[in-house]
Amino acid sequence: MVKKISVYGTYEAKVPVRQRYWKRRIDGIKQRYWKKTSRMKKVTKSGRYEFHGKGKDLRKAVMKAHRIVPKRFVDVRADKFLKNPEKYGQEGSWIDREIESG
Amino acid sequence: MTEKSNRARPILGYSDRETVKLDFDDVPFKVVKYWAFRAMKRFRLKGFLIMRTSENCYHVIFDREVSWSENMRIVAWVALLSRFEKLKTWFLMQCIKESSTLRVSPKKEKPSPRIVCRHGEQDKGIRSFMAYRRKIKEIARTR
Repeated sequence: MVKKISVYGTYEAKVPVRQRYWKRRIDGIKQRYWKKTSRMKKVTKSGRYEFHGKGKDLRKAVMKAHRIVPKRFVDVRADKFLKNPEKYGQEGSWIDREIESG
Repeated sequence: MTEKSNRARPILGYSDRETVKLDFDDVPFKVVKYWAFRAMKRFRLKGFLIMRTSENCYHVIFDREVSWSENMRIVAWVALLSRFEKLKTWFLMQCIKESSTLRVSPKKEKPSPRIVCRHGEQDKGIRSFMAYRRKIKEIARTR
């Protein structure tokens, strides 16, 4: 019987640019790896928070979600999100763009 | 201050697994009402509420709370028989998310959904939906 508040839409955020590199393994196979560089790029993505919990926490979590955009589909208790928002999201801004939703 | 008010805001919605919800896009009100009645009678859903989101776009919420599998069974039945492509897409998206969501706050130029029709009992699923809707609207006003 969990009722949730969904916070969703399209957002812009800065993410580190990933760079690929190869390394020869002991068995002779060239393996591809990725590393995060210090350069940042702006990406447009859509994401969603699903908050459940008590009223006061829900309100605070929704307010916080205006500034902290979700990393992916995030289903979390509001008080847990408030304790550590960076774990579930990153700094960014929501933008007005049409996405497939209800 | 001006910069803050111009900033886009995320959409707020209500999600759960027990309340049967339908999202009709590009469907006239009469047809929405017809399918709401048909689904209510066939699955004994006791009552429904129709909300208008924009022109020819409506949300339907039923009163009886059901299990997730029965919920999706009902939505699939309506989507298949009514042959509304957008309802089918919405149904598939809810299946992926494993909970169904309806919008409560305004979205771009669209206002927040308004109640246009009530029928039958309103004291279970619809009641909890309305309570959450009030909460969400309050948050949307203060943000």
